[in-house]
Amino acid sequence: MSFLVLVPTKRVPDTDGVIRVTPDGLDVDTSHLSFVINPFDAIAVEEALRLRERREDVEVVVVGIGDEAYEDELRTALAMGADRAIRVDAAEPLDPWNVACVLSELARRLEPRLILMGKQAVDDDSAQTGQFLAAKLGWPQATFASRIDDSENGAEVARETDHGIETLSVTWPAVITADLRLNEPRYASLPGILAARGKPIQEMSLQELGIEIQPRVELVGLQQVASQRTVRQVETVTELLECLRENTELF
Amino acid sequence: MHVLVLAEHDGDRLRAGTTAALGFSRQLANGDGDQVTCLVLGDSVATVADDAATFGPVLLGSHADLAEPLADRWAEVTAKVVQSESIDILLGASSTFSRDILGRAGGLLGGAMASDVTGFLRDGDRLVWQRPMYAGAVTASVVLHGSPLIVTVRPTAAETPERRSSPASITPISIDSGRLPGSTGHLGLDGRPSHRPDVTEARVVVSGGRGLKTTEDFERLVGGLADRFDGATGSSRALVDAGLTPNDLQVGQTGKVVAPELYIAVGISGAVQHLAGMKNSRVIVAVNSDPHAPIFEVADYGIVGDLYDIVPEMIQHLDAD
Amino acid sequence: MTNALPQTSDVVVVGGGVAGLSTAMQLASRGASVTVLERERLGNGSTGRAAGLLGQLRGSPAATRMLMDGVQIVAELEERANVEIFVQTGSLRVAQTEERAGEIRDLVEMGRGIGFDIDHLPIDEVSSLLPYMRTDDLVDACYCPTDGHLQPAELVAAYLKLGREHGVVYHPGCPVRGLDLTENRVRGVITDHGTISTGVVINAAGPWSYLVAGLVDTPLQTAALGHVYLTTRPDDSHPVDRLSPAIRDRHLRIYSRPESGGLIVGMYGPDAVQHDMAALPDDFDMSSLTVRADDLHVALLIDATKRRFPWIDERTPMTITRGIMTFSPDGKPFCGQRPDFDGLFHCSGFCGHGIVQSPAIGVIMADLVLDGSTGYDIEAIQADRFFDHPGLQDRSDIEAACYQMQAGYYGRIEDGDGGVVDEPAGDGPTS
Repeated sequence: MSFLVLVPTKRVPDTDGVIRVTPDGLDVDTSHLSFVINPFDAIAVEEALRLRERREDVEVVVVGIGDEAYEDELRTALAMGADRAIRVDAAEPLDPWNVACVLSELARRLEPRLILMGKQAVDDDSAQTGQFLAAKLGWPQATFASRIDDSENGAEVARETDHGIETLSVTWPAVITADLRLNEPRYASLPGILAARGKPIQEMSLQELGIEIQPRVELVGLQQVASQRTVRQVETVTELLECLRENTELF
Repeated sequence: MHVLVLAEHDGDRLRAGTTAALGFSRQLANGDGDQVTCLVLGDSVATVADDAATFGPVLLGSHADLAEPLADRWAEVTAKVVQSESIDILLGASSTFSRDILGRAGGLLGGAMASDVTGFLRDGDRLVWQRPMYAGAVTASVVLHGSPLIVTVRPTAAETPERRSSPASITPISIDSGRLPGSTGHLGLDGRPSHRPDVTEARVVVSGGRGLKTTEDFERLVGGLADRFDGATGSSRALVDAGLTPNDLQVGQTGKVVAPELYIAVGISGAVQHLAGMKNSRVIVAVNSDPHAPIFEVADYGIVGDLYDIVPEMIQHLDAD
Repeated sequence: MTNALPQTSDVVVVGGGVAGLSTAMQLASRGASVTVLERERLGNGSTGRAAGLLGQLRGSPAATRMLMDGVQIVAELEERANVEIFVQTGSLRVAQTEERAGEIRDLVEMGRGIGFDIDHLPIDEVSSLLPYMRTDDLVDACYCPTDGHLQPAELVAAYLKLGREHGVVYHPGCPVRGLDLTENRVRGVITDHGTISTGVVINAAGPWSYLVAGLVDTPLQTAALGHVYLTTRPDDSHPVDRLSPAIRDRHLRIYSRPESGGLIVGMYGPDAVQHDMAALPDDFDMSSLTVRADDLHVALLIDATKRRFPWIDERTPMTITRGIMTFSPDGKPFCGQRPDFDGLFHCSGFCGHGIVQSPAIGVIMADLVLDGSTGYDIEAIQADRFFDHPGLQDRSDIEAACYQMQAGYYGRIEDGDGGVVDEPAGDGPTS
């Protein structure tokens, strides 16, 4: 039996894009934005590929939950080297709870040994899905991973915490969420891009998975945070530190 | 309404984020019959419970198997308490600790969760939570559906409340260690490393540029200031090229891209190649002797003057605090 | 914008990249009042992401002289602004086919003919000079010790510093909306913050320059084409000395130079992205150009890179820089006025060589504006050379011609009859 690594990926606006709220205050204007794989998920894809380079039996399956546009990002993951992809069709992005419901159902069917995903998506910044999923499955979790040393039965994982690097041991199957320092994702090679064109993207419906969406998070409004900086020239160090005390969470 | 705050502590006292979360909880639970309880978990943490009891009632779960904050165990115990005490809102400070454990508890409790909350409004019976999205570019107002609600709050969302003159009750809870999950183990915590954090990871980055004359000055001034914030040091390409700083400190288009909470540019003029690496930092401070330096165009706070005067003064002030 | 716009200015420069900043500084140093209007930030745009490679030996003596003079001008700038702009690494051109070797022989011969320091370099010496480069497939190489690169950030800083000293007024964040004309004379420049009266407008808007020309309904034969290069992070097992020579490998279409302990490698590849600058917002910043992990141009670039530098592959930690170059149909810039409007001077179309041409171009533009003529031979870069060209009036024709030029920029040698004798390497897809 292969060691299946499931890598959920979210499609998000490129972090270099300028985020503007639509005039009705209910959405983000995506018309001028380009989309990419959530950067933390790309790190997870990379780590799965490195795991496959270390051990022979690994199969890397990427999952996206969304409309057809998600296939662009799944194709990116395939071009990087993932073996196959699954798109669970959903018209709207789901909240973390519902994503976790979909993923736990997929996990029951595919029986992965490892679910490797980003620690958070850079659009809603919730950082919840991996933990929800681990709880629902009753699997061990290692969040914010910056190093994974795998072995036959599990892994030692270094985690980035507010108070230093914590090292955990987890047994398979497990959920691990990737932090920034875990690795630097590769670019797809030319053969990789060509190969991705022929790799399958399996489509599944929520009905097939027996999932009924039960929204947990209702967005009732969005407000633009002023992005245009205007410099305030201060005269003294005392004044500067006073400003920093008021406007940062560092003191 | 009954709010339960999961305590994050250092084995001795509550951490500041948790006391702020207690303050936030009081704003939430301020009606007749509302209560705020603090849940203290750990091994031999009576002093933490005593500290927490100066704010209000405490539930204390003390057991050797809870010595380390392993998410699977702590979330399991927390979720049990939420259920047995009919908690309406489970709350914690925004931190890696809460994101890990309350996130998992949220998964056991139905997933009605909001992270990094900065404030709330009452809209009739509903609570509308404010939280940042898109790295702070947008503030979202969200309503959670389900019960209980799970919320992590930013430490700046509330002040630490007044301590009571006499401590509140501390009620032990029983821990059934045989039923705790056991597939995660704690192997160690490499506390704050003595060397500085990586420039891409630190909450505070102090960067130096051409205004610095020597490696010793860089270490003393840029390094010294960074250390006052437990922050990282960064460098402009000019200093790397001049051999004054190592390559891995370089921030910019061909170096590293950073977005810390606070970026202090010391003696950096702010060529676009450097700005590309740091312009998304939340708060930017520029110290430069040239009032025309382009760094001031992207800074929130600017101070024109000689860095050799200004930086030592900053360090002195920070040490005095 | 911090200050109000001046009401009048002898010269208004549209575009705050190196071409505009150099021109503004030179004009002001000769006593003209100069205002620079920049849509976004000074020195951002193409200038802000240029590699700055300086290869002085060009196809013609005029172009070569311009670059050699540029080195002198840069030396003066360095002294006056107290920054290091020119990094003299030397440059190397390598050949892995007989045709390319022939090209190198011609180049060495031409260089020696004008007294330029250039010579063949035996392959084993290439190897010891550049231990991180594959050399076993090379048949010849030539070396120019006086070449190197200009550091764009430092060059911009010097232009700004000296420009300020001469009284140049800079207005970033100020897009130009129109030109005020009387019959066929420029009278002013219209912005959201007011109109500046002026008799001379310099169109130095780089990729946007055809839109500036379009403000007065005159086609400018430039197109905005995408370009990518990679910068590897410092790697202890493959140290790249700060003074390692720049490399040009026309067979693989790549160029390379050291950067902060790593290596920059860029490519003039097929299939460049064609940008419609009119569709971009006023505050467009090239750093927002998305680089997907499966970008085909990046994959082509890495593929070519690993043929010359086998230790680099798609897993190597690197930064991809994406930008926009301004190409012309013949690979040369447009400098000067055209018969349609007096006072409208073009200064654009540098085809990826704006950084290194800018020092001399500033002098040439100042000569043209203030004296009406210059001592430089500017026959090849006259702004009006395609003015009446019947095949280069529509945008689509212009773009097609510029696109062709870019695609063949490095990787094509033509024989005497215009036939192609050496198609570039690379068996990648072009769709």
